[in-house]
Amino acid sequence: MSKSLLGKFLFVLMLAFVLLIAACSDGSDDDSSSDEEGNEESSENEGEDEEEEEASGEGDQLYSIEDFSPTTANSGEPIEGGELTYGLVTDTAFEGTLNWAFYSGTYDAEILNWFDESLLGYSNEYRINDEGAATYEVDEENSSITFTIKDGVKWHDGEPVTAEDWAFAYETILHPDYDGVRGTSAGFTRLLGYEEYVSGEADEIEGIEIVDDQTITFHYDRLTPSLLTGGIWGYPLAKHIFEDIPVAEMSSSPEVREEPIGFGPFKVESVTPGESVTLSKFEDYWRGEPNLDKVTIKTINPSTAANAVETGEVDLVDSFPADQYADNADLEGVDWLGMIDQAYTYIGFKLGDWDAEAGKVNYKPEEMKMGDVDLRRAMWYAVDNSEVGEQFYDGLRWNGTTLIPPSHPEYHDDSIETPTFDPDKANQILDDAGYEDVDGDGFREDPDGEELVINFATMSGGDVAQPLANYYMQSWERVGLNVELVDGRLLEFNSFYDRVGQRGEDDPEIDIYQGAWSVGYDVDPTGLYGKEALFNFPRYESEKNDELLAEGVSEEAFDTEYRKEVYSEWQEFMVEEIPVFPTLYRSIVVPANERVVNWDITVEGTNTRYSEVGVTE
Amino acid sequence: MWKFIVRRLLITTPQIVLLSAIVFILAQLMPGDALTGLIDPTVKQERLEELRVQLGLDNPWYIQYRDWVAGIVQGDFGRSFIYKMDVTELIGQRIVNTIWLSVVSVFFIYAIGLPLGIISGRYNDRLIDQLITGYTYIGFATPIFIFGLIAVWIFGFVLGWFPTGGSVAPGLDPGTLEYYLSKIHHVLLPALSIALIGTVGTVQYLRSEIVDTKQRDFIITARAKGASESRVYNRHIFRNSILPIAAFFGYEIVNLINGTVLIEQIFSYPGMGNLFLESIVRRDTTVAITLVLISGIGAILGALLSDIILSMVDPRIRIK
Repeated sequence: MSKSLLGKFLFVLMLAFVLLIAACSDGSDDDSSSDEEGNEESSENEGEDEEEEEASGEGDQLYSIEDFSPTTANSGEPIEGGELTYGLVTDTAFEGTLNWAFYSGTYDAEILNWFDESLLGYSNEYRINDEGAATYEVDEENSSITFTIKDGVKWHDGEPVTAEDWAFAYETILHPDYDGVRGTSAGFTRLLGYEEYVSGEADEIEGIEIVDDQTITFHYDRLTPSLLTGGIWGYPLAKHIFEDIPVAEMSSSPEVREEPIGFGPFKVESVTPGESVTLSKFEDYWRGEPNLDKVTIKTINPSTAANAVETGEVDLVDSFPADQYADNADLEGVDWLGMIDQAYTYIGFKLGDWDAEAGKVNYKPEEMKMGDVDLRRAMWYAVDNSEVGEQFYDGLRWNGTTLIPPSHPEYHDDSIETPTFDPDKANQILDDAGYEDVDGDGFREDPDGEELVINFATMSGGDVAQPLANYYMQSWERVGLNVELVDGRLLEFNSFYDRVGQRGEDDPEIDIYQGAWSVGYDVDPTGLYGKEALFNFPRYESEKNDELLAEGVSEEAFDTEYRKEVYSEWQEFMVEEIPVFPTLYRSIVVPANERVVNWDITVEGTNTRYSEVGVTE
Repeated sequence: MWKFIVRRLLITTPQIVLLSAIVFILAQLMPGDALTGLIDPTVKQERLEELRVQLGLDNPWYIQYRDWVAGIVQGDFGRSFIYKMDVTELIGQRIVNTIWLSVVSVFFIYAIGLPLGIISGRYNDRLIDQLITGYTYIGFATPIFIFGLIAVWIFGFVLGWFPTGGSVAPGLDPGTLEYYLSKIHHVLLPALSIALIGTVGTVQYLRSEIVDTKQRDFIITARAKGASESRVYNRHIFRNSILPIAAFFGYEIVNLINGTVLIEQIFSYPGMGNLFLESIVRRDTTVAITLVLISGIGAILGALLSDIILSMVDPRIRIK
C-alpha cells in the first residue's frame, strides 16, 4: 500500500467515524434536552405540575399502582447509629429558604420535613388527628378550636415550643412586610380580627387567645370543614430567635438559611447552599429518640438518579422521573414504593374571560366556540384515556373520571358514570346537535354552518407532550372536529399560563387547553372552580356550582357524611356541565434501597416516617 | 499602556449601559414572571397580586429599570425573587465554584493542549501526529454533554473514582484541609471533561502554526547558523506559534466563567451557568440581568486581557 493510498484510506475511515459519532449524538441529543426541559418545569411549580418527564416505556409491560405498597417491606430490624442519604432529584439547586413560614420550593419543603414539623398530625383522610405534637378540641358553639401542645416538645436549642411561638407565626405571616405566599387559607382569613390586623388597625389578632404556655385557642367567625383538613397553620415560629429580626429580613436571615431551627427529629448540622444539608439526631425529640444518627440530604441530577439509587449513593429520593421507571423496575436491591398522586390532568374549555374590575369570571358561553355542552361532551367521548395511560405511561396513569381524584378516597365518587371512549356516541351527539359537514371538507361545521376550528393550547416539556397532543387531535379529527395547536406548536410553561389567564388576560386565541392540578389536603375546589377564582381558567360559573361549593365549606359540612354528599353532587354536576374534563389520574413511584425500613410515603406516614426510618446494615 | 486600558474602558461603558437596557427590556418581554411558578390552588391569587405590588413587579419596565439602576449605583443589585436573598450574595456563592471549575479547566486545557500541539506540529504527518489529529477530530465531533454523561457513568458510578455531583462533600467545615481536598476532588471530573473536549481547538491551532512557522525563512536561517534542533523548536518556533493561543487565553477564561451550562447540569455543579439557566426559566429577572451584565463586563475585560498578553509575548505589537 503506497503512502497516498494509506492516507486516503485513513481519511475515509475517519469520515466514517465522524458520521457514526454524529449519528449517535443526534438521537441522544433529543433525549437529554427534552429531559432537561421537563425537569425544569417540575421544579418550577410545586403544587401544580403539568406534563413532565414521563415517556412511553420501551417494553409492553403494564404496571398498576395497586401493585405498589406505600411502605417499605421492612426486611429486618433497624441498627443503632445508622446513617442515611436522601436524594433530591433536581437539576437546579434548592433555594435554601429553610423555614415553613417562608419557603416556596418543594425541595426546601423536603429538607424541612426532616428537621421541623407541624404541631398537627394528619390522618390518611387528610384530617387533623391527635398524633401530632398538639391535640385539639372543637367548640362548635363558640366557633373556636383549642389546641394543647404535648409535654416535652422542644426546639433544637432546648427551649420549649410554646403557644406564644405558634401565635408569633400567625403575626409574622400576616404582617404587611411578610414576603412569602402563605396567609390566605381559612385558618387565617376566618380568624376574628383578621381584617383589622392585616390593615394595620390592630396590633394583635383578636381571634388568637393564648391560654397558657401549652394551650392556644383560635376563635373563628364561623367553623368550616376546611379548618380541619389543612386550613390551620400548624407550624410555630421560634419567637425567642426571630423576635428581634424585622419581618422583611427574616427570609434572608442566617436563622433561616444557615442555621435553621425546628423541633423535628433531626438537627441541621451544616448547609452547603444549593447542594446539600447534613443533619444529626435530635435526642430530645418529643416522640422519642430517632432511629438514625445522621442524615445527609443532597441534590442528584435526574439523568443519573437511577444510577445513584442502584449504587446506593442515595438510599431514598423525594421523587423519581416516571419515564425512567419502566427501565429500572428490576433494579437490584431496590424496593419501589407507590401511591396515587393528589393530582389530575385535564382538558379545559374556555367559556368566557376574566373581569378584572369585578374580580370574577365573565361567563359567556353563547359567545364562545366551546359554549355548547354537547360539543364538549362529544369531545370527551372521542378520546380514549385508558389507552393513553397504557401507551404513554405504562399504566402508571389511568383514565380520570371526576374532578376529585381517588387520592381522596372519602370524597372521590367512583359510582359516577362519566363519558368513556365511544366514537360512535361522539358522532351521534354531534349529529344531533347540528354539527354537520356542510362543505364536504371532512370536518364538521358548527350548527350555523360556519367553519369550526378549535384551537388547542398545551405545554411543551417531556418526550410525551407532542405525541400526546397529536393523539388527542387525531381522536377529535376522527369524529370530524378540526382541532389545531395554538401557534402550531407547544407552548412554553410561562407563556402557556399567561395566555390561559393566570394574570387575568385570557388569550382569545385559545379555545381548549390541557393542564393539570394538584389537590391539597382539603378537597374544597373553590380555589379552582369558584367564580371569583382567577385559576378558574375555563371561566365557568353557575348558580348551582356556587351553591354546592359554598355548601361544601358550610358549618353543616362539618359533618363528613353531609360533606361527602355535597361533593358527590358537585362531581356529578361537573360531569354534566363539563367546563373541564379530567383525562388522567396519576401515581407517585419512588425507589428505596432495601436496607431502609419504616419508610412510609402516605400522609399518615409523614407524622412518623422521619423519626422511625432506619437502616438494617 | 495605561492610557490604552483607560481608553478601552471608557469606550466600553456605554456598551455596558446599552447592554443592560436591552437585556432588561427583553427580560420584561418574556411571558410570565417570578411568581408564575407558584400557580397552586392552595396559594390564593390575591396573595400573588399583593406580592407583585410588594416586589414592584407590576410597575412599567422603565420604572423598574430606573429602580434597578439606582440600586446598582449604590452597589445593590436587588434581591432574587426565587431565592429570597441578595443577588450579590447568591452570585457570590456560585461564582466561587465557577472560578474553581474554570481555573482547573484552563489548567488542564493547556496542560493537555500545549504538549499535544507541539508534538503534533513537530512530527507532522507521522503516526503520532495522525493519532493526535484523530483525537482532535473525535473531540470536535463529540457533544460535551454526551461526553460528560459517559464520564460520570464510567468514572463516577462504575469505577467510583470521582463523586457524581455537587461541589464539595456534605458536612465538611469550610477552611479545613479536608474541605479543600474534597473541593478539588469534586472539580476534577467536570474539569477534565471540559478540558478533553475543549482543548482540541488549542491543539489544532498550535499544530498548524508550528507547521507553518517551520518553513519560514528565519527558521532556515537559525538552522543555517547551527542552532540545535531543540533550540530551534523551543526558542524560535514555539514562541512564534504561541501567539494566537495567547490571544485566545482571555476569551477562554471568560467563556468558562460565564458558565459551562451543560457540564454544570450533568455534574449537578452549582455554578453560574446553572444559575443563569435557572433564573431565565424561572423568570428570576434580577439574577438573570445581573449575570448578563457580569458576563458582558467579563467579555470586555477578557478582550482587554488578551490584548495585554499579546503585547507581552509579542514585542512587535505595541499598544498605544
